[in-house]
Amino acid sequence: MKNIIKITASLFLIFTLSVSVVSAQSWSVPNLSKKKQNPYDTSTKNISSGKKIYNINCKSCHGDATMRNMLPLQPVAPSDLGSQAFLMQTDGEIYYKVNKGNGAMPTFKKTLNDESKWMVITYLRSFDKNKKVSKKIAEVKNPEVSDVKLLLDINKETKSVSANLTGVTKKGARVALQGIELSFKVKRSFGYLDISGNDAYTNEQGMIEIPFPSDLPGDREGHVNLLVKVTDDAYYGEITVDRIATLGVPTDPENPLDERAMWGTRANAPIWIIVSYVGGVLSIWSIIFLVLFQLIKLPKLAKTEE
Amino acid sequence: MKEETSNNSRRKFLKSVGLSVGAAGVVSGFSLLGAAKAAAQEPGETVNLLTQDGQLVKVDKNQLRPTVSEPLTELQKRGREGIAGKSFVMVIDLSKCRNARKCMDACQNHHQLRTDQHHINVLQMQDAEHTAPYFMPKPCQHCDNPPCTKVCPVDATFKRQDGIVLIDNERCIGCRFCIAACPYSARIFQWTEPKDAEKYKNLTYNIESNVPQKKGTVSKCLFSADRLREDKLPSCVSSCPNGVYYFGDRNEDAVTNGTSGETVRFTKLIKENAGYTLMEELGTKPRVYYLPPKNRAFEFNGDLLNEENLH
Repeated sequence: MKNIIKITASLFLIFTLSVSVVSAQSWSVPNLSKKKQNPYDTSTKNISSGKKIYNINCKSCHGDATMRNMLPLQPVAPSDLGSQAFLMQTDGEIYYKVNKGNGAMPTFKKTLNDESKWMVITYLRSFDKNKKVSKKIAEVKNPEVSDVKLLLDINKETKSVSANLTGVTKKGARVALQGIELSFKVKRSFGYLDISGNDAYTNEQGMIEIPFPSDLPGDREGHVNLLVKVTDDAYYGEITVDRIATLGVPTDPENPLDERAMWGTRANAPIWIIVSYVGGVLSIWSIIFLVLFQLIKLPKLAKTEE
Repeated sequence: MKEETSNNSRRKFLKSVGLSVGAAGVVSGFSLLGAAKAAAQEPGETVNLLTQDGQLVKVDKNQLRPTVSEPLTELQKRGREGIAGKSFVMVIDLSKCRNARKCMDACQNHHQLRTDQHHINVLQMQDAEHTAPYFMPKPCQHCDNPPCTKVCPVDATFKRQDGIVLIDNERCIGCRFCIAACPYSARIFQWTEPKDAEKYKNLTYNIESNVPQKKGTVSKCLFSADRLREDKLPSCVSSCPNGVYYFGDRNEDAVTNGTSGETVRFTKLIKENAGYTLMEELGTKPRVYYLPPKNRAFEFNGDLLNEENLH
């Protein structure tokens, strides 16, 4: 049963995605739009926030930049946005195409704001080999390290989570890693809720402190599953720590069946309905029986009269 | 004499048990062999499947078969109880809907419905003469004060602890009181034999997906309760290409977008976007919330734009 659903779902996905035909005409961009410049600078922060937006909005079709793992659509597969052939275009051209959409590529004119679009372009530009984007490396200089460790500290009084990112240098000393973005996530039923905020970068001591939202529900005891991760796997591979923290608001799950209500089934019907219904049935039957008894009594009465 | 017969019958019984156990062994052996043979057979018809890591693989159709599900009693019991500690809600962002209708297709595939039967339907709306038209997907609202369960004379439709309103095909007598009671027209009636009735014939009835469908009974949106049990989003939610649907647990105050997978705070989403529910004045307390069709991602291209269709 489960498999059937999975199979039908995946078949359906493949079918629907491959049906949307892309018109393979050349995609011309007006000259004026081509000249548009990216107003945001190529900083680590912009690149990583661009990557986040990319992963949510672009990755499902285009795959990871430079990895060539886009969806195999027909007749035209989405292009690898990290490829040099794509990055030949000016910022303005990419911006125009993201706004307009074409064929199976939807328009992002209103789904993404301008800042987000430029962030994505900044992120994609970081793969451009022709454009010397040395800022990314120059901004924060961390020594080459191995055995990267992420330590978590949960402070119940201030309701905050702090993390410490360190690594061992070649000389064997453990040093702090600064300027690295971390993601703080809370597990929910169908996904992870990001609570990192906009500025989750480690400082000179490799430390970062994030306030936990004061009104986020946990379970009955207030436990939440916390996951902390180095946002960009490209730096040190995938580094994650998960922990059960007692920072959430203790929440008793509401059970609508606890109360007796009109909409409830027999077991949950309001008392007054049960009483009045049963009372009604009983009184009607008792009247019927009363009449029957009187009828039985009639012949006897007739006899005594005689 | 009497004793002998009883002895006889016991022997017979033991014999038959032995035989049937043996036969079961042989049968299972055969089915294993059969599976192996089927696998070894020349690939006949193949189907393309997308694996979880995004690889396209070709699979022989012979190897695809329905999995054995739990027995009916277990399915009925857990279907009635629901998932403890959850309180499911859906948020539909009208500004993102462009009538792609993928939700409807996925739903009809999941629940054995023909293309003219809707658990979820995308409607073209125009609230007043001079207001802008928009598309509105409309599933069952899974009300917290459901009018439909009040009128059912046989306890066939009911609300579970996680807030989902379901129908039990096994109990439904087809009186259609619930259809009349529902102000959202969320329910459908199976007038004829359902689609692919032959194919689904031997499947155990699952109350959480209402499959197999039964002629003469009522059916409606179930929030894909069987998928929720596996921590998966409902079929319509995960099949939307435009990020229209959010689905989640109100107890956790989080909803997840079916398209982007992004998880956001439920209260914040509703507050910031002025979320509303349908026909609040009826006091049905729906669990499906709508975000107004403001700053639309797509132009409205429906029939309502033509003058002829307006009146």
